[in-house]
Amino acid sequence: MGKHMTLSVSDLSTCLGVSTDTITRWVRQGKLPVLPKGNDLRFLKKDLEKWAALHNIRLNLSDKKSGEKQNQADIRLSQALQNGGMYCDIAGNDIPTVLEACVNRILQIPDDFKSDLLDRLAERENALSTGVGNGIALPHPRQPLSYLPHPMITVNFLANPVDYNALDGRPVSILFCILCPSLQYHLHLLSALSFCLRDTDFISFLKSQPEMDQLLEKTVILQESIPL
Amino acid sequence: MSVIKKMTSRFPLNLSHLDDRLLLIITGIIAGMCSGLAAVALRLALELVTEWLHPFRHFWWAFLLPAIGAVLSSIYLEKIAREGAGHGVPEVIYAVSKHGGLLRLRSSYSRLISSFLTIGSGGSAGPEAPVVMSGSAIGSNIAKFLWLNDRQRTTLVGCGTAGAIAGIFNAPLAGLVFSIEVILGKWNFSNIIPIAIAAVAGAEVSQALIHKQVLFNHMPFNVGTADILPGICLAVFAGLISVFFTKTLNTTGKFAKKFRFPLWVRALIGGSVVGGIGLFFPVVLGEGYHFIQSMISGTFSMGLFITFVAVFAKIFATAITLGWGGSGGIFAPCLLIGSLTGIFFHKIVFLLFENPACASEGAYALLGMTGLISGVMQAPLTGIFLVLEITGGYETILPLIVVSAISSTMSHYIEPASFYFKELIKQGQFLRPGTDARILSDLNISELISTEFTKVSENMIFREFIEIIKTSDQFFFPVVDENTDAYKGMIEIRNIRRYVLNPGIYDMVFLNQIMDTDILTASLENDLQDVLEMMESNNMESVPVVEHETFIGMISKTRILDLYRRELIMQTSVR
Amino acid sequence: MNYKLLQIFRNTPFGRETFLQSLYFCKIIHANPVVYIPESDKFLMYFPNDAIQIDLDSSYLTSPKTAKKHASALFKEMGFKPAFFTPRSFTASTLPDIPINYDYFCCPRSVSDLSSKIGLGHIGPKVRRIIKHAPFPVLLTSPVFKPWKSIAVFFGGSTNASKALQMGLKIAMVSKLPLDIYTLKEKKSQTHYENIIKESNLSAPVSQFLRDWHFYKKSEFDTMLYDVPHDALIVVGAYGHGVIKDLLFGSKMEKIQSTVTNNLLITGPQCELSLLH
Repeated sequence: MGKHMTLSVSDLSTCLGVSTDTITRWVRQGKLPVLPKGNDLRFLKKDLEKWAALHNIRLNLSDKKSGEKQNQADIRLSQALQNGGMYCDIAGNDIPTVLEACVNRILQIPDDFKSDLLDRLAERENALSTGVGNGIALPHPRQPLSYLPHPMITVNFLANPVDYNALDGRPVSILFCILCPSLQYHLHLLSALSFCLRDTDFISFLKSQPEMDQLLEKTVILQESIPL
Repeated sequence: MSVIKKMTSRFPLNLSHLDDRLLLIITGIIAGMCSGLAAVALRLALELVTEWLHPFRHFWWAFLLPAIGAVLSSIYLEKIAREGAGHGVPEVIYAVSKHGGLLRLRSSYSRLISSFLTIGSGGSAGPEAPVVMSGSAIGSNIAKFLWLNDRQRTTLVGCGTAGAIAGIFNAPLAGLVFSIEVILGKWNFSNIIPIAIAAVAGAEVSQALIHKQVLFNHMPFNVGTADILPGICLAVFAGLISVFFTKTLNTTGKFAKKFRFPLWVRALIGGSVVGGIGLFFPVVLGEGYHFIQSMISGTFSMGLFITFVAVFAKIFATAITLGWGGSGGIFAPCLLIGSLTGIFFHKIVFLLFENPACASEGAYALLGMTGLISGVMQAPLTGIFLVLEITGGYETILPLIVVSAISSTMSHYIEPASFYFKELIKQGQFLRPGTDARILSDLNISELISTEFTKVSENMIFREFIEIIKTSDQFFFPVVDENTDAYKGMIEIRNIRRYVLNPGIYDMVFLNQIMDTDILTASLENDLQDVLEMMESNNMESVPVVEHETFIGMISKTRILDLYRRELIMQTSVR
Repeated sequence: MNYKLLQIFRNTPFGRETFLQSLYFCKIIHANPVVYIPESDKFLMYFPNDAIQIDLDSSYLTSPKTAKKHASALFKEMGFKPAFFTPRSFTASTLPDIPINYDYFCCPRSVSDLSSKIGLGHIGPKVRRIIKHAPFPVLLTSPVFKPWKSIAVFFGGSTNASKALQMGLKIAMVSKLPLDIYTLKEKKSQTHYENIIKESNLSAPVSQFLRDWHFYKKSEFDTMLYDVPHDALIVVGAYGHGVIKDLLFGSKMEKIQSTVTNNLLITGPQCELSLLH
């Protein structure tokens, strides 16, 4: 971003969120500071900032936030699973102990935050069970975890099935922990995961405790058919 | 835009690098001087021709003189200059508010010639409006020549106007105030300085070239507090007269248009009538500066009744001159009618009270003038400053303000639109900066339209459409013909919600069965005002834009608000 | 794409030829013609830096009662839906403002002189000023309706000539008609012109649509004009220099238009166009 950076009409039209017609009209009417040189209209960034401040207009120069927001929800389920990893033989006989064992084994959670995360997971379970049926539960905190670098889902196979107050009353043997740094990811992943879990073939595949590679392969195929 | 490139290539001096204010001041001086020259030229030419025609005024056929002048003037204006516009000031205001002050080059001289013919031959009209038109056209064309932008051009139009008024009256302040109050309608920093300087330049030109200034040779008056009460009465009277004047002007114009005469016949009739009136009341002929002069200095001699009749004679003469083909303004007639009114009122006061302690006849003539100008043009400041500059002192300022305020309020109460603005308001073209109408007229449909819409075919089955909805964030789907791409109707998600939730009909209906065909559409040619009106009266949030049966895009209220606010900021911010 | 062409309708046999020509043009390039039937003998066009008053000759106001009927009949004959323009704003009561948001403008070579003079005369001063300021190309029609079957671009290498070339390519794209380029070499080699095209990123479309590129020596101007097929639409760029320069040096465009009878599409110095839409 040099001091003498210039913008074109189309750059400025995206910055201001108006059409190029509006920009050329403003130039014609003498409302915008324009560089007098060249074949096309160019605007000096410095002048524009001055102008925007004078008129109290927001100038979204070099701001790509809106672009990011769009891409945010675009994380693939397989990617999240890969981020999270797979943990087998989780010990425990009831919900709190299972959750504690899970949280303790997740590598990506810094040790300082583990107890906090556990509280939140337990709180969520107390409010309403996350057991979705077919022996699967999706424990997750209700607040986004800002310390996480990226969204993740960990797959946890329990050593012993546990009574999870699930919707269909069946004991749960697989936990998918959904851990996200922001709410958009959360909703997106939750919806993608629950879509996959509607597939009975996928569930029986899960029950066989597949390897990480196999699971990823399967989800890559399955997530292609996810609407959205 | 290659406009800018041209600007740099055309001028080695490179004006674009000059500071904006300095550029406007320099070009403003040029505009002021040029328009001052135009004003002076018209003044001198009028004086010359009046003198030259003076010996012929005593013959019985003198009434034909104004007729000949009017015929020549109208033929010149329509056939040679092909100007095709009214008396000038509304056109200038229209150009300023709608087209960034663009005026034709021919306007810078055509009015001078036609009004010279009209007024010189004795038609009852003022040279100010023509001079204002030429002055503003000169300013506009200087800006055009230098490829300046709209804002700068408008300021130069103001400079030209101010120079012209300042030049013709030798009254720089009146020029400044008139230009800003009537023509531009916007007081702001970047306007005032160049216009003030242009006004002074115009006045200087006038002083240098006209040695014997008629009107404005600073006469002292003694107006005391005792004059306030009669002043108020005069103001009410002047207000009534000005309303009557405005109404007469308008009706005469309409009346004349009813006859399907050729142009010159109309001018001939009108001119002869004016000439006929002039035989009995020479005071109505021409612009009447000399009569005003004599009234102010108190050397005017007419009886009470004659003065009263003269007021109306002048009103009719002016209305007929302007309405039946002559060319000119109403500024000078206003001054004359005003001073006649003032003198008439003064005479009444002297008739009713013996030896009242009020000021001279001349002072009342001045008050009457202010009253008429404020009333007819609804420009109180112009009236006050013009008369202040006549007297050259502040002795009369208190009654002046009182008269001006009352008269303009009164005429505003009876006739909310002033003579200059009436036509514009009627056409919806009275667009002062920062007003709603102006913003709406500046914003273009093509700027507001959002075009990124997925179109769907009318033969699409509903199930397919459901799949499209899933991945789309549109609320509206235009339905088009498969082959010709012609617009058929709209589908609004809001309206089909219950069908969307009913999978049973997914395979049963085609889109042309559920689309909305009677939804109102706009076209690119519509004004935003029309579109908004349509949205409001039908309670719509968005309107599809369809042109030549092709769907172009949608206009939504949220988008309008967004741009409306920016436009408002741009137009009202202090620069 | 939604192109619009504005046509000022003249209710005379000569005007009919002009109108048929522009309808044909619209048909080929898929544009929508819009007709303005003048009600007074003058109108104003506000361009970005100029207000131009166009004075029409009296033949434009011939029998206004039948004008609409005649225009509609011609519209239908060529398979268009009649579209008329009614002015909304007026500078003065007899002086309507005509908007300039059209993509093409069609007029005969002169509008303000009497039509009897129009064989192949000079371009009238008003039409010349429109060309100078217009953001759209202007179609100057041949005196008699004449369908065209190819496009001929006069390309001299300047910015305006590139505009003309772009315009020609644009029409070739939509109409699928063959495109020829005619170049008068001015002391420069053939490759010089090819490089210009490369620099302006036009080589891909040029190679796609070009049928032939004819080069002529500087002295062969008249030969070149004769070589242009009689049934071609000529696309040519106009320069912005003033009347004085034109009188002294003569304008190439002027010479072209007074020599050939073809339809001319002229892109002026302010003309804005892009290949994309």
